[in-house]
Amino acid sequence: MTDELDLVGALGSAEPLRPEAYQRARAVLRAAMADPGTVRLLGATSAEDTTMEATSTMETTTTTRDHESSPAIQRRRRIGIAGRLGIGAGVGVAAAAAVVAMMINSPATGGTQAGKDSSAAASGSTTADGPVERAPLMTLAGSIKTVTPPAGDAWLVKATQVHGTKTMQVVYTLYTDGHAIYTGNSVQDIKRAIARHQDQMTDGGYAPLLEAAVAAADSSPADGRTQMLKAAKEPLVGLDPAAQKAVWDKQQAAAQVIIKQKGGNAEPKPYSPQAVQQHFDNALWTYSTQALSAGDGNTQVRAGVLRLLSTISAVSVKNSTTHGKATLTITAGPEMFGGEGSEVLTIDAETGMLVKDVSIVPGTPQASTTYESSRVTKADL
Amino acid sequence: MASDADLIGRSLDGDVDAFVEVVERHEAAVGAYLVRRAGRDAAEDLLGEVWVAAFESRRLYDRSYNDARPWLYGVALNRLRRYWRSRPAEDLVADVPDVATGSDPWSAVDLGVDARAVLRSALTRLKPEEREVLRLVAWEDLTAADAARALGIPAGTARRLLSQARTALRDAPGVSALLKDRNSTKERHR
Repeated sequence: MTDELDLVGALGSAEPLRPEAYQRARAVLRAAMADPGTVRLLGATSAEDTTMEATSTMETTTTTRDHESSPAIQRRRRIGIAGRLGIGAGVGVAAAAAVVAMMINSPATGGTQAGKDSSAAASGSTTADGPVERAPLMTLAGSIKTVTPPAGDAWLVKATQVHGTKTMQVVYTLYTDGHAIYTGNSVQDIKRAIARHQDQMTDGGYAPLLEAAVAAADSSPADGRTQMLKAAKEPLVGLDPAAQKAVWDKQQAAAQVIIKQKGGNAEPKPYSPQAVQQHFDNALWTYSTQALSAGDGNTQVRAGVLRLLSTISAVSVKNSTTHGKATLTITAGPEMFGGEGSEVLTIDAETGMLVKDVSIVPGTPQASTTYESSRVTKADL
Repeated sequence: MASDADLIGRSLDGDVDAFVEVVERHEAAVGAYLVRRAGRDAAEDLLGEVWVAAFESRRLYDRSYNDARPWLYGVALNRLRRYWRSRPAEDLVADVPDVATGSDPWSAVDLGVDARAVLRSALTRLKPEEREVLRLVAWEDLTAADAARALGIPAGTARRLLSQARTALRDAPGVSALLKDRNSTKERHR
């Protein structure tokens, strides 16, 4: 017997989506999982050519992701900390777009340091040492290893992300003196993570980056860079120039195909040692700052990241004061991000722990994360 | 087989592929839902946004429910509302399909043009919230309780809205005649 629901149901028949639409939607999801901050506002900014380019690159990376890769490893070219915490959506998009645009078509001017050592760049084993202006990073990296923490057996860090005037997320992370890391959106989440032995230091998505950061604390700057880039599965690292060029050209060609499919127009960026150096610096900033954000309470991670950042020519360091406390302000300038935008980290001048991260992209609301650190006793949580 | 709730739990614990498995289970259903509500072109654009929105809000998923499909419809409806707000009126697909684009030839009820017009007219007279529940039940094959989950309303409210919608439909001009005709035709062919 037919009833009114049957009649209405017959009105709802519809032609199915095309198979490629399902694939494309899954690719968007994969990209979002790899890079939540970048993708979140794709819909809101989809009219922008640069967004399309960012999507293109993410799709390229997702199609080659291997099963064991973590979300962090799949990330590409984006403002680092904003990405881990998913801030900023709009800023993430614009920054990613700007950086992708840099990768595709900006002239490979490179930093002065990069330009001096093109052969090293080509081999992915730069011998860069930070110049005087980044020396405070190396100095602090050495001194924080000897700082005795206050009472307690762990750092509890509350990270509050704000996009424009809107609070996007609050993330709590517990760093034990035994080098374990537990994270969640509340202290309750942390206790749950402890009960489940979900130690981010060893089995979280950032574990490879954290391990590389720890290694960098006691490595030469060049070795530290190589280890971090390898941890990030950077395909160009360790290749000779000819092999690098082959991979570079292949990546550019793949990007072109996707850009054209989406109706875009961007010239491929020709291979050069300087372009590779820029590419490495950008990747190093991205992955090192992700490691710092994920491992902020771990002394070795902080020391390693500071040493790594000191090797990047587009990074500048200044003494500053934040709420009466001595801090260092570390700025990655526009040349890191394709000519516009910047990221500014403020860290405690004594401990090296994060105080604030601000991502700036012209035309979008500012995205910032404020870190509040306190010593706690794990058992008392 | 792991439930959707288990997979979402694993996803929260960092298992990247677990959430994709949830998506693969429900992509045909959610895709069809989007087509019905926004047309195929828009649906193809929106599907990825729905997955991203669902992924980002998975922490809010009530894992006492094994089946994530009603929740995903709710996420999809939120994206649709954003889409509708952002589009000029002339670009929007009617809530009730005007034409049977790609209609299922094996549908249990084969509607003619006149019957469609009668039903469309009856549906437009329903309250929006009644229509929303009715669509989820009639088109997406949800129970009233699952429709309530999708819409974020109490199950009792959804049942009441569904009952009101069905009563209003049955009483609508032309619909009762249509039902009588359909059922008497079936009787004659027994």
